[in-house]
Amino acid sequence: MRLRGIKRFHYARDVEEALSLLSAYQGRAALLAGGVDLARAARGDLEGLIDITGMGLSYVREEGGGLRIGATTTLTGILENKAAQGYLGGFFCEVLRQVAAPPLRNMATLGGAVVSAHPWADIPTALVALGAEVRWSDEKGEHRASVEELWQGQFRKIFRNAVLTEIRLPAWEGAFAFEKLSRSACDIALLNCACGLGIEDGKIAWARVAVGATPRRGRRLTWLEDFLVGNQPGEGLWREVRDRVEAQVEVSSDRRASGAWRKAVVGPLVARTLKRAAEKMGDA
Amino acid sequence: MKIYFELNGEQQYVDIEPGESLLSLLRRLGMKSVKQGCNTGDCGACTVLVDGRAVRSCITFAAKVRGRRVTTLEGLGSPGDLHPLQEAFLEAGAVQCGFCTPGMILTAYELLSKNDNPTPEEVRAAISGNLCRCTGYRKIVDAILLAAKWKREGRWR
Ligand SMILES: Cc1cc2nc3c(=O)[nH]c(=O)nc-3n(C[C@H](O)[C@H](O)[C@H](O)COP(=O)(O)OP(=O)(O)OC[C@H]3O[C@@H](n4cnc5c(N)ncnc54)[C@H](O)[C@@H]3O)c2cc1C
Ligand code: FES
Ligand code: FES
Repeated sequence: MRLRGIKRFHYARDVEEALSLLSAYQGRAALLAGGVDLARAARGDLEGLIDITGMGLSYVREEGGGLRIGATTTLTGILENKAAQGYLGGFFCEVLRQVAAPPLRNMATLGGAVVSAHPWADIPTALVALGAEVRWSDEKGEHRASVEELWQGQFRKIFRNAVLTEIRLPAWEGAFAFEKLSRSACDIALLNCACGLGIEDGKIAWARVAVGATPRRGRRLTWLEDFLVGNQPGEGLWREVRDRVEAQVEVSSDRRASGAWRKAVVGPLVARTLKRAAEKMGDA
Repeated sequence: MKIYFELNGEQQYVDIEPGESLLSLLRRLGMKSVKQGCNTGDCGACTVLVDGRAVRSCITFAAKVRGRRVTTLEGLGSPGDLHPLQEAFLEAGAVQCGFCTPGMILTAYELLSKNDNPTPEEVRAAISGNLCRCTGYRKIVDAILLAAKWKREGRWR
């Protein structure tokens, strides 16, 4: 526990109560979900904590082949849910199994991961590739945006006075795969990649490719998606992908890995992830 | 502030600081099996069960266990009456300094409560976030597999 100076702890019963508490504290309170990030934050400016895990926002619902996930659902709650296990052949669960270790997944929530949006994290990369949409409420009402739009804007400012309520994962006709490079099984990523493919008549009909921990937060490679469409999956294409990604993706150094190392591995990583997605479609 | 919660089967009504960690509360209540290693959620030494789920008590706010059931190693067994998981750790030689052991056992307890026939790979995945500086992990994995066997044979509680 690094957080200091907390004077009051509140258990919000609904979104309205959480919002009115936030506004009463005028920036000196924070919403608390799993607390995995907040408890580790070396902040001394907070006086109030508002626990939002008892507001009925822990659920996973299947809708038209997609998923609606309440913001306070823990990662374990998603992993244990039948609809989530079935979503895209288990793709989202495959990602979550690579996030931290079970006791942390028992605490961490999906909403917390969206609001924290760590650049090194895996969940943002997967959500960007999936085209996830998020919903939130503030005193003006309800809002929605794709995660890409949200993270391009001033989302940290938004969530000083707003409650993220739901994350929606759309239905896709195709397959997704995820790959993470890290030093040990439960360590954070040095680089990660999520890819989705739709294949019709032996050719790629649509593609989604996102790379994260570059060390920036996961982003789509739309130029690569455009290049892939119309091509036939196979070793020749994966080689071409590897070379193009190596030449064009911007990577740099941080304290965990050098830019030179990231440059050397990002091409094979993207090619391998795409190949796995194609294999899941039965068409490598 | 005051909260009610259940600790190892006994009701507690205690005063806590609003920003206090569950680790601090449990140690104040005499639960010395709960160890403070990193204090940032990374090492697993402070792991306890809340409603049967392993969590990191160092980054859990004590206020969050209001109305919940908390289990520490003291709630599983005692020196004169070891839980089968504790016995398995001794039998397999999985304990050296012992600092990681309570967290390892409680993490394993959650795994075995859901799956009493785990593969070695599943055991390794379950304890992947619990660090041990002494044993090299192999005997810990052996101990958990032995305990799983005992559980399947009905030697459990
Ligand atoms: C040791 C460790 C390892 C990790 N490993 C990985 C990994 O391998 N891959 C990966 O992708 N991620 C990883 N993470 C990140 C993890 O997924 C997030 O930290 C976690 O999901 C945060 O969720 P939480 O519920 O604990 O958030 P909290 O700590 O409760 O909240 C985080 C922030 O979000 C705000 N907030 C929370 N919920 C809401 C809401 N509904 N509306 C508005 N604001 C909200 C809080 O006020 C706070 O500012 C790791 C984290 C740790 C600590
Ligand atoms: S002391 Fe809590 S995880 Fe290390
Ligand atoms: S036995 Fe010493 S840390 Fe594990």
